[in-house]
Amino acid sequence: MGRYLLKRLRHGVIVILGVTVLVFVVTRLVGDPVKVMLPLEATLEQRAAFERQLGLDRPIPVQFIDFVVDVAHLDFGDSLWQHRPAMEIVFEKLPLTVELAIFGIGMAFLLSIPLGIIAALRPGGLVDRGTVFFSLIGFSIPQFWLGLLLIVIFAVKLHWLPTSGVATPVHIILPAITMGLPTLARLVMMVRSSMIDELNQQYVKTGHAKGIPYYRVVGVHAMRNAALPVVTLVGWELIRALAGYSVVVETVFAWPGIGLTAIQAIEREDLILLQAIVFTVGIMVVLINIFMDVIYTIVDPRLKLQ
Amino acid sequence: MNKIGRLLLVGFMMSMAWVFAFSANAQEMTIALGSEPTTLDPQLREDGGERAVNDNIYETLLARTPDGTLVPGLAVAPPKLLDPESWEVKLRPGIKFHDGTPFNAEAVVFSVKRIIDPEFNSEQVSFFFTITGAKKIDDLTVKILTKGPDPILPSRLYWMKMVPPGYANNPKFAEAPMGTGPYRFVHWNRGQDILLQINNGYWGEKPQIKTVNYRFVEEPGTRLAGLKAGEFDLITNLLPEFTKQVPQAPHVLGLEHPIVILNADAGPTKDVRVRQALNYAVDKEALAEGLYENFAQVAQGQLLSPSFFGFNKDVGPYPYDPKKAKSLLKQAGAVGATVEIIGTSGRWLKDREVVEAVAGYWDQVGIKTKVRIFEFNEYLNRLFDRKTRADAIFVVSSNELLDADKSFSAYYKAGGIGSSNTDAALAGLIDKARTETNVEKRASLYHQAVKRAHDQAYFVWLLNIEDIYGMSKRIDWTARVDAKMLVKEMRVRE
Repeated sequence: MGRYLLKRLRHGVIVILGVTVLVFVVTRLVGDPVKVMLPLEATLEQRAAFERQLGLDRPIPVQFIDFVVDVAHLDFGDSLWQHRPAMEIVFEKLPLTVELAIFGIGMAFLLSIPLGIIAALRPGGLVDRGTVFFSLIGFSIPQFWLGLLLIVIFAVKLHWLPTSGVATPVHIILPAITMGLPTLARLVMMVRSSMIDELNQQYVKTGHAKGIPYYRVVGVHAMRNAALPVVTLVGWELIRALAGYSVVVETVFAWPGIGLTAIQAIEREDLILLQAIVFTVGIMVVLINIFMDVIYTIVDPRLKLQ
Repeated sequence: MNKIGRLLLVGFMMSMAWVFAFSANAQEMTIALGSEPTTLDPQLREDGGERAVNDNIYETLLARTPDGTLVPGLAVAPPKLLDPESWEVKLRPGIKFHDGTPFNAEAVVFSVKRIIDPEFNSEQVSFFFTITGAKKIDDLTVKILTKGPDPILPSRLYWMKMVPPGYANNPKFAEAPMGTGPYRFVHWNRGQDILLQINNGYWGEKPQIKTVNYRFVEEPGTRLAGLKAGEFDLITNLLPEFTKQVPQAPHVLGLEHPIVILNADAGPTKDVRVRQALNYAVDKEALAEGLYENFAQVAQGQLLSPSFFGFNKDVGPYPYDPKKAKSLLKQAGAVGATVEIIGTSGRWLKDREVVEAVAGYWDQVGIKTKVRIFEFNEYLNRLFDRKTRADAIFVVSSNELLDADKSFSAYYKAGGIGSSNTDAALAGLIDKARTETNVEKRASLYHQAVKRAHDQAYFVWLLNIEDIYGMSKRIDWTARVDAKMLVKEMRVRE
């Protein structure tokens, strides 16, 4: 297993480096922070001085070598927008996004298993059709709209929860629901369909015939076999939460995590900060993937890590 | 008690704590800004969030009344011109920074030298590039030196915040600011909030509001929701379409002017009659009503608001007259000519919509308008392209000094960063006004420049946008023309 992990890590490093280089190239091709950051009326001399100050007047290859050295030191330099180390900003924001993702996706995972199993027990029944219906709605709702809808209902009308911010633990409820609901919908559908497949297998009937209690057949034997695709999807949803959903959810709820920061860095053409964010999120994605591989072998020992 | 019970209790207590935090104290208020300050050093960045907070902590030698008139601030009287290159400023006695150190000539000299120091690299340097230094005369008198005569110096001093000489060198200065203003800094939780408290030793009139909390909410819909839920008392940049949903929407003619720059040197717009026709063709009032719900006013045929220095009240907008536009185009032989208009999307309020509406009006009088909307960076490439100017470029000009010089140097003057004419006479007027220290003569130079550009129709002047705020019922405040949110001017209704 150790050998396997080393190999995966090596692949991971290559992926991260590839992504980082890509970001370097793309941001320098399309963006020019000098133009965007100075007031429109700034003169050409002021622009040139600013460009020199940022070090963006140097040839691209020189900038690239600097950049590689920086990455090797895990130091991307100061954010152009905030004038403090980009990694400091990333480490300040990342925990908030991780917290949100774990709450949102964790909640979705925990709820999806009972809901999916109940629906799968009687395919085509009333409960099943209801679950399918609401799941369809759940993953068709744009998250942006869902967030604003929840704010209007629970904060503006009912005054139960705050609209935005991170001041108290209560503040996480609405953003976590917004993040988790579409995931819940997808997971429920996945649990339901894999359970339906498993419940039709011969071993379920055999187990039943042998007199194993039904809840054990469903909850232990069938569930274990149905779990693989669900685990895959949970990993995927976690990645999307960190690298995608967080952008929308954090913007709507003014949740100062990595997603909101990424959007702000893009708006302000903060190449340095953007590189640090992509690099860090890239590492998270690789780690989640490796973690999921390990989970596979626990769920299904037949899968050996090679 | 079992685990679940304990969890429930903790949850309940936390929600109660939140409810208490949420029921606002009589003399507290919460302001939601669109962006968080990147620093609280008042001299370093060009940053709206920073300014909104620091305008209450720091002060400037000159201030403005809510309608924009320059008045003495930390100075006791308007600056006096000693010779063309130096100004004398007398300071108000007895003013102290929040830690008790006196505000005096040394503080002014330090503040001036700090912000113009090339090593310091201030982004605000474009406001101060004419200033070369400052000298202490006595404890309450300072001489400020400029490179050549600089009539705009008083306006510049209104922008320069005064910092404490000793403490400003402390590395903590950018995170824990300290000035002479009516509010003192309490804390800044990055990403969350900034808290200010009243400065009991304030030299001026004591503000009524004791505590100000700043929150940072980028999404306009969420700011609106927070106001409606009672979490915020004042929110910035309220969208015109939201104004009917809020208890109060203070609004005032702001510093932003959307205009279309016409190419006076090439293409169909080279002919002045075409440029005039393009002005007559656009129904500015309909734009103000249809796109901005009337939270905008028709621009007075110039790139200036009435509160700006240089505003020429004898020049007005081109009226909406499609017939006249058609006949002018016919005279110029430009019926059916193609005009390309460059715009961007999402940078300014309703930017794309304005460009499309203008194009529609032009089409109606017989111009073939080609609308080209670019991503902001690409758009800037076209705006700043000095070699080939597009026929028409939409831009929103903003002018924080409330003085014609900045906008005119950038857009009116030949060779300016966004200018599309080579009118040497116009450039001469602007250059002369830049160094004319006689206020009346200078105003008259700008009046001539405004008139000339208007008659030559170098632009299609569209609107002057209003700043709109959303405000709760309990606050009483009138918005200022310079967009500053001075909490000392706000009141909580009892």
